[in-house]
Amino acid sequence: MSILQNARDTQGAVAPSPDPSLPPAPLLQVCGLRVAYGDTEVVHDVSFSVAEGSALALIGESGSGKSTIARAVLRLLASRRARVDGSITLQGRELTTLRDGEFLALRGRVLGFVPQDPGSSLNPVRSIGAQAHEAAALVPGARRRADREALVRTAFERVGIEDPLRILRSFPHQLSGGQLQRVLIALAILPGPRLLVADEPTSALDVTVQKQILDLLDDLRRELGIGVLLITHDLAIAAARAQAVVVLQDGEVREAGPTSQVFTAPRSAYSRALRADVPGLDADRFASVRAQRDARRTEGTLARRPGEEPHVVASGISRTFRVGERDVRAVDDVSFAIARGSTHALVGESGSGKSTAARSLLGLERLDAGTLTVGGRQVDPADGRGLRDLRRHLQIVHQNPFTSLDPRFTVQRIVREPLDLYRVGDRALRAERTAWALDAVRLPSAVRSRRPAALSGGQRQRVAIARALALHPDVLVLDEPTSALDVTVQAGILEVLLALQRDLGLTYLFISHDLGVVRQVADTLTVLRRGTVVESGSVRDVFTNPQDEYTRRLIASIPAHGRTAVAA
Amino acid sequence: MSTTAVLADSTAAPPAAAASLRRYAAFAARRTARALIVIVLAYVLVFLVLAALPGDPISAQLESPQAGYTDAQKAQIRKFYGLDQPVLLQLLISLGSALRGNLGLSLSTSQPVTTVLGDAIGSTLTLATTALALAVLIAAVLGLLSRLLGPGPLNALVRALPAAFLSTPNFVIGLVLIQVLAVGLGLFSLVDPDSAGSTLAAALTLAIPVSAQIAQVLITALDESAGQDYAEVALARGLPPVQVVLRHLLRPSLLPTVTVVGLVLGEVLGGSLITETIFGRTGIGTVVQKAVTAQDVPVLLAAVVLSAGVFVVVNLVIDLLYPLLDPRLRGTEATR
Repeated sequence: MSILQNARDTQGAVAPSPDPSLPPAPLLQVCGLRVAYGDTEVVHDVSFSVAEGSALALIGESGSGKSTIARAVLRLLASRRARVDGSITLQGRELTTLRDGEFLALRGRVLGFVPQDPGSSLNPVRSIGAQAHEAAALVPGARRRADREALVRTAFERVGIEDPLRILRSFPHQLSGGQLQRVLIALAILPGPRLLVADEPTSALDVTVQKQILDLLDDLRRELGIGVLLITHDLAIAAARAQAVVVLQDGEVREAGPTSQVFTAPRSAYSRALRADVPGLDADRFASVRAQRDARRTEGTLARRPGEEPHVVASGISRTFRVGERDVRAVDDVSFAIARGSTHALVGESGSGKSTAARSLLGLERLDAGTLTVGGRQVDPADGRGLRDLRRHLQIVHQNPFTSLDPRFTVQRIVREPLDLYRVGDRALRAERTAWALDAVRLPSAVRSRRPAALSGGQRQRVAIARALALHPDVLVLDEPTSALDVTVQAGILEVLLALQRDLGLTYLFISHDLGVVRQVADTLTVLRRGTVVESGSVRDVFTNPQDEYTRRLIASIPAHGRTAVAA
Repeated sequence: MSTTAVLADSTAAPPAAAASLRRYAAFAARRTARALIVIVLAYVLVFLVLAALPGDPISAQLESPQAGYTDAQKAQIRKFYGLDQPVLLQLLISLGSALRGNLGLSLSTSQPVTTVLGDAIGSTLTLATTALALAVLIAAVLGLLSRLLGPGPLNALVRALPAAFLSTPNFVIGLVLIQVLAVGLGLFSLVDPDSAGSTLAAALTLAIPVSAQIAQVLITALDESAGQDYAEVALARGLPPVQVVLRHLLRPSLLPTVTVVGLVLGEVLGGSLITETIFGRTGIGTVVQKAVTAQDVPVLLAAVVLSAGVFVVVNLVIDLLYPLLDPRLRGTEATR
């Protein structure tokens, strides 16, 4: 800390710490900011300010202009031929009129940057030590090697990096996302900046790591009095971490004010819609659809017969991969059962084995031990004909709708493909089925003859679901179906999925890392950690009375979980 | 283990150094063994192809009535060159003596093949290495300028040059260089093809189209690195733009660039033939040309295997460079 303080004091340009008796002057003030790429203006007349030691969240969905604003503040738009108008002042000094050379002195030293994806934000071919040393060498006054090492050591200690010597020797690909983000934050605070611009700092991280990183940013803000400009699409994060928020849509400010006010009494319709769609803020978002489904399951054609066997059963499945010279048990003695017409969630962070378990169900993994049955029939990867039959009844919806659709096919062709492959009916029937599936996911007819590139993320995921539905399956494996989507889009997709379950009696295996979503949509769940079952049971029981420490940590890391009462 | 050493931008980390050095040595040994096998296979293949060609100068001479050899003399000559043996046995004998450094005698001059090639190789190697070095230098300058010059007409010119270089034929460049440098400016003499000036001009002729290919790959790779998150983060950290290019963009871009250097080597060797003709140099190109005309099989065989050997060695060096340039390749499939 003292070194960071010294480093800061060596440069006269930086204002001294604010006098606590005065109201905090805005550290960063943005006034009437407009950004245009060519003739297209993407940010319209945006104004906000960040006070010393406080956090302001810029909230918005993809395309709202929030990242463009962050880059305008950091002057990182130059290479993109963008035109910036308006005023940006930092500590009372106008930034927009500075020459590049003058601005360079502010970068890093006064304005720190924490990037979105730690995995790609450090140079992959240079050691962490080399990059840390390079960052330290930019601090004025750190001329001697010993000074730089002290700076690096202090910063690494401050962000809680364990075993710094090993980290310094490592290359980025040898570290986890959480470790890399700590390194990046360490490098950002090393010169003692007054403002940190954090662009979705945790969206690429697991939920428990996400919480640690956000806690760290909170601590740094409080202890070092740093102002934080937090860019996020996640309302829950903003609600829990920022003192003030600015809600952006299409490059315009929809609402701005203190966090408590915007979240308790949102004035704009957009803010209200956004808030309603955050899973962590409303556990009962889909309660009515699910109640209708339950009513149909007790009577009528979809009714369950008493004593009916579970539709999908995994018992004691194990799968080991050989990585280099050691064996990694990706799935270790995992069992679960899913009743017909219900949703079972496999929950876990990256590397927990949830995807391997799902792939096993599709017959894509050869099991070392255990059995999987669907509708009483065993899944056997060696039985090609059996698998073909199985997959008629069991379909998957992948995580990333941007890569799971063939870009050369039209929407209709994509949805019809499984029907062609299984030679279902004649042309007319296939066309009818295709139209039915696209209706079922409520995809506007205007886009059905287009190709995926012309569709939004949400529309693409609807196409993927329609494709899975075309064969009239009775089980869908949903592999993180909404994790690549904005919250409002996510809510729409979840609603479609639950309505389909109500109307068609589908059985879902729902893979997710997001416990907020799981609580909204699943009936039962299995929590996986490093390939083993940590906890399982009904969603209600697990959420009200988690038995395992890890489950408790997962639940605690649902953003805004603790604020539900305040915000609702 | 002091922090000082850790912070140095070393490619091999000291503490695990012994183990990683052992791994690297094993990798290098495996790759070298493979390279040797490739050269031997090249020898066998070229030998068989040449043996399959109809006729050879010996038979032509022996059978011609003017020569007036007796049958006994013919048999003796055939025996001297080993032509009375089955082809596979000839191959084994030839390969065996080649491995001992004896490449046989030229059919047209009766000099040892090693002497024939040895006289020419110096000139060609000087030309080829100078050309390759010049090509890399030109490519590096163009590549760096493409990132260091801000957007504008000058940058556009730098980016257009490689395409222009590529589309100009070798002999045109050579003739223009001779006209301008030797005839116009008198910088080197046309009479002495081995003078430094002449060598440099010949190398430049060869280097220009080759540099274009390297530059194109380098510029694309640099552009791609520039679009990566780490480049933006380094800039945001306050690193001056020039240093971002030198420290962050260049090294990740070297991998594809080094690969293409290995590929264009063939062009340098092939192009040297034309260039040697233009500049009146005696090199491997001239020797090969004469050997083809005279059907001088031993010289041809040695020349082709020599070129293959140079190719294999350069690509071996490049393979060995990969894990040094990119730590992610260490201990992966690519470096087995």
